Parts: sequence; C-alpha cells; structure tokens
Amino acid sequence: MGSVGPVTRVGNGVFTVEVDGRTETVFVAGPAHDRWLFWNGRVFRGDFRENRSGGRYAHRAAGLRALTAPMPATIVKIHVKPGDAVAKGQTLMLLEAMKMELPIRAPGDGLVSAVHGREGQLVAADALLVEFAA
Amino acid sequence: MIRRLLIANRGEIALRIVRACRELGVESVGVHSDADAFSPHVLAADRAVAIGPAPAAESYLSIPRVIAAARESGADAIHPGYGFLSENPSFAAACADAGLAFVGPPASAMARMGSKIEARAIAAAAGAPIVPGDTPADQSNAGVRAAIDRVGFPALIKASAGGGGRGMRTVRDPSDVDSAIDAARREAAAAFGDGTLYVERLIEGARHVEIQVLADNHGNVVHLFERDCSVQRRHQKVIEESPSPALTANLRARMTDAAVAVARAAGYRNAGTIEFLVGDGGYFFLEMNTRLQVEHPVTEQVTGLDLVRAQLLVASGEALPWRQDEIAQRGHAIEARVYAEDPDQGFLPQAGPLLLYREPNIPGVRIDAGVVEGSMVSVYYDPLIAKVIATAETRVLAIARLAAALRAFPILGVQTNVPYLLRILAHDAFASGTIDTGFLDREGATLVNADDDEVPAHVRAVAAAAGDDTRHGRAADRETQGRWDPWGP
Repeated sequence: MGSVGPVTRVGNGVFTVEVDGRTETVFVAGPAHDRWLFWNGRVFRGDFRENRSGGRYAHRAAGLRALTAPMPATIVKIHVKPGDAVAKGQTLMLLEAMKMELPIRAPGDGLVSAVHGREGQLVAADALLVEFAA
Repeated sequence: MIRRLLIANRGEIALRIVRACRELGVESVGVHSDADAFSPHVLAADRAVAIGPAPAAESYLSIPRVIAAARESGADAIHPGYGFLSENPSFAAACADAGLAFVGPPASAMARMGSKIEARAIAAAAGAPIVPGDTPADQSNAGVRAAIDRVGFPALIKASAGGGGRGMRTVRDPSDVDSAIDAARREAAAAFGDGTLYVERLIEGARHVEIQVLADNHGNVVHLFERDCSVQRRHQKVIEESPSPALTANLRARMTDAAVAVARAAGYRNAGTIEFLVGDGGYFFLEMNTRLQVEHPVTEQVTGLDLVRAQLLVASGEALPWRQDEIAQRGHAIEARVYAEDPDQGFLPQAGPLLLYREPNIPGVRIDAGVVEGSMVSVYYDPLIAKVIATAETRVLAIARLAAALRAFPILGVQTNVPYLLRILAHDAFASGTIDTGFLDREGATLVNADDDEVPAHVRAVAAAAGDDTRHGRAADRETQGRWDPWGP
C-alpha cells in the first residue's frame, strides 16, 4: 500500500489511519510487547516497537528450539527419539486432550536433541516435550 | 406449559434457549461449572445453579448434579442443548424418572437412533437408502479387518456411539488398517465410553445434506427442508447453508419424504436431524442427530420459524405450531463457525482472554455467541466462539454478506479461524457450489498457508502509534486489559 497518513484513536482499541486518501479502521489490543491487531478480517500479532522484528510470527520464531504442550494433555504416542532428523510438518508426538487427538508437528526441519515424557503420561500445559539441536 | 426450564448447557446455545424462554414467558435456570460462574449464559438466565468444577465430566456431563440442580431450582423441564448430555438416553430417562419434561425425544427413541447400527436398520425398513456397511460381531482387529474386506476400499471405520468425527478413520490402503482401527477404538472409547466399531463404504465425492424434522405427541411430523454441511474439516462442520446448491426439487422432495418416514418409524418426538450423503447419483441415510443442531439457525433464517420455541411447545405436550404446507424456504442462509483455533498450528484449540471482541451490527447478519469482550476462552470446553449467519436473497449475496460480516468482526486475544473461513468463502470451488465433504481436507494446505503474512504498512503505523503514544497507547493497554481482568485497575 502507498502513502500512510496520521493515526487517530477513535475509541477504546479502535484506530483509524489514512491510506492513499482512504480511511482504514484498525482494532488494537494487548500490551506493546505482545500486540494484537485486526484489520479487514486479518489478525496480526507481535512486538511492533522500533528495533524489533515485528510481525505475526515474531514471538514464535524466537522460541523454536523446543515444543511444549499447548494444554494439559495425555501423551498417546511418541514418534521420535533423540538424534532423529525431522522434516517440517512431521508428527513428532500425539497428544490427547478434550477427547481429541492433537498431533505435535515439527515447526521446521531439524534434529531432535531430547524427548521428554513417556506414552500414557499426563503433562501440564507448557510442559517441555521435544527439544531441537541448535 | 413448561413453567421453569433448566438449561443443561453453556455458551451460545444456552443463551439461545434463554432467549426463547424470555419470549415464551418461561423462567430460565442456567447451570455452570466453576470456570463459567460469570459467563454470559449464567448472567442471562433468570436464576443460576453451580454444578461443579471446570472439567465437564464433573459438571455439565454429570447426570446426578444436573438433576439435583433442577430439583433445587424447582424446574419442571430440562433442555439439554447440543453436546454434553443431549444424546445420552440415560439422561433423558433420569429426567423422566425425576418427573422433569425432557426437551427432546423419549429415551427409547434416542437410544434406537443413537446406535448407528440400529438407526441404519430402522432407516432401511422405512425405505431410506443406506450406505453399504458391516458391523463385525467380532470386534477384534481381525474381525474389523474382515468387515473392511467385505465392504471394500475405500472404507470408513466409525464408532457405533460416535458423532462429530470422533472415533472415525478413513482407510484407503490395507497397510493402514490396523493403525486406523486402533486410533478409532481409542478415540471412541475416550469420547463415548464405548469402543464398538462398524465399517462403511466411503462414498467418494459425496455432499453432506441433512433434513431438519420436528415431531409432536399428536402424530404430526414435519420437515423444515435441508441444510448442506459439506464444508467439513476432518468431519467437523465449518460452514452450513440452506438451500443446498446440490439438490434438485425432485431430490429434495424424495429426501424430505424419507426423513419424515424415518422419524415416524423411530417413534421420534421433538427436533431431530436426519443426515444423508448425496453422491453416486443418489442419497444415502447416514445417521440421525436426536437433538437441536449447532447449525439450526440456518433453517430458522430460511423458514422464518423458531425451532427452540417449537421444541418447548412440543415438550409441553402441545401440537406443532405449523402444518407442513405452511413451511417454505425463502432466500438463502449461510453460517460460519468461528472457532478459537489456530489454522497455522494444525487447528490447535486456543485458550485465553478475549482482549477485544466486537460483533458487527449488519442487517441480515445474525450472530449467536456465548462470549463478550473480556470472556475467557477456556481449555475445558468446545472452542466455538460464535456462529455468524448471513441471510440474503440468493446464495451469492449471502456469501458476500457473510464475508463482509467476518471482515468486520474483530476478535483479539486468541487466534481464530476467521482468516481461514474467509479463504474458503473466496474459493472458486466453494462459490460454484460443487464441493464435497473431502474439499477442506484436500485443499487444506492452500487454505491455511496464507501468503498474506506480511503486515501492511498502515497496520504497522497503527501498532507503532498505539504503542508509542503514552497518552493513548498506554491508556489503551490499560483499558483493554482492565476489561478482562476483574482485579485490574
């Protein structure tokens, strides 16, 4: 998009901004280090302050050395062991929570350095599951 | 007439039922787990009863606690909503034993149609075509494998007690059979407490079209036409519409006749849905849902009728408020289910506070939701946030209206499937009305992997302005956080 004009706060969490003479409405929430924005059906999340690589996945890219449990869950199946090379999208572990199976997939190509937990074990939210070699 | 109705559910459907109660002058009783003490459905009900801790098994799924809540509150009837206890014949029987009117079918009809195996037999006897299938008496892996060999590949392994895609697996190749059987049995046992499996031929390229029926205690059974729910991801419905773009007038007439015949044969009462697969040049009975459906608003929008009101009348012993010849489809309605899930992370359910939640106010758009700004989306329950239903003169206009509504519906604090829904609505195959139930799973990657991850300059500008402007930025932070933090400043 072309020329971006001034930003105006028009309500609680609601801002307008001029773009090429048009007025766009953007909704904003959350603290500056973890900002959520909504515009035209799209959601953006990140730290957009200066000198930071803002963007939707900024918060994710930083922590991709390990995978954690997204919620309290039971480990149903472990598919990898330390030393395994894995490809992006590959299922590393199968969890079950809320009666649904949740595959834990590799976020990128990498080398598994550690696997935590055993099959049948109940793990807490954010429990460390799989670590990758740096 | 029902005087005081206990609503054994939560979220948007509990609110929907409260609304019907208000209009009928029926008192409503909400129930809630500890996690839901301040939820909109609790605040909306005339009175509320706490029924236990957050896990559903100890609250919304506990028959003794729900029945005790009904006794304690002096309710004379119970509406189960959908999910939870809604299709549990023991619950319907417990209500009857406690002298409570159950807003649904009798336990016997529910049990008959709840068993997929028995339901198939009833449907076949009523003259409805059924998908070729086999229920192995021998439930071992070898027994189920033999059943698969009899119906042939590709086949579907299903949980007899199942629904919503749980305990269901597709097998196309003999080498996948054992792992698929194990997974289906595991999920079925976990979800329904019953690992019994049966096997069906997979009808390739089929659409999912269901017929809404309603029956009263006076021998009246009517249908309210169809809903097309072919847009499914792993057997979970995502978008539903009526009329179905796949039905001719002739096929519609045959299917609605068959649905009414099945409901009669089952001795059915109250609202129910007969699900069919449409494909291979015909239609096949799939199963019956013995409850109000998530997608019932689509039918309400095209018929102009109130299904929940009719349910309460029927449960009160009254006759259906309409005759078949008074029921017509008008225009087109389409519903999208907005879920707290992250399509970029394998549709992982999301939990967290709704930092910002603003429903659009657009004529022709109905939003059934169970949350408000500041609500917590909990890990304990279904991640459905809202149903957005657009109604217009034609399918094309209804799709455009739904897309416009989703683009004007900011939800921040948890990732949602809204961007994914918008990409489905914009897809040529969806627009042409020719997709089948495998569409989303085949197209999955192209619909999820958005190439629009780049943050537009003007959005960055707002992010920067909101963050750096101490007067507005920090104030906005405080305001938005304060809304969901009950102990905040």
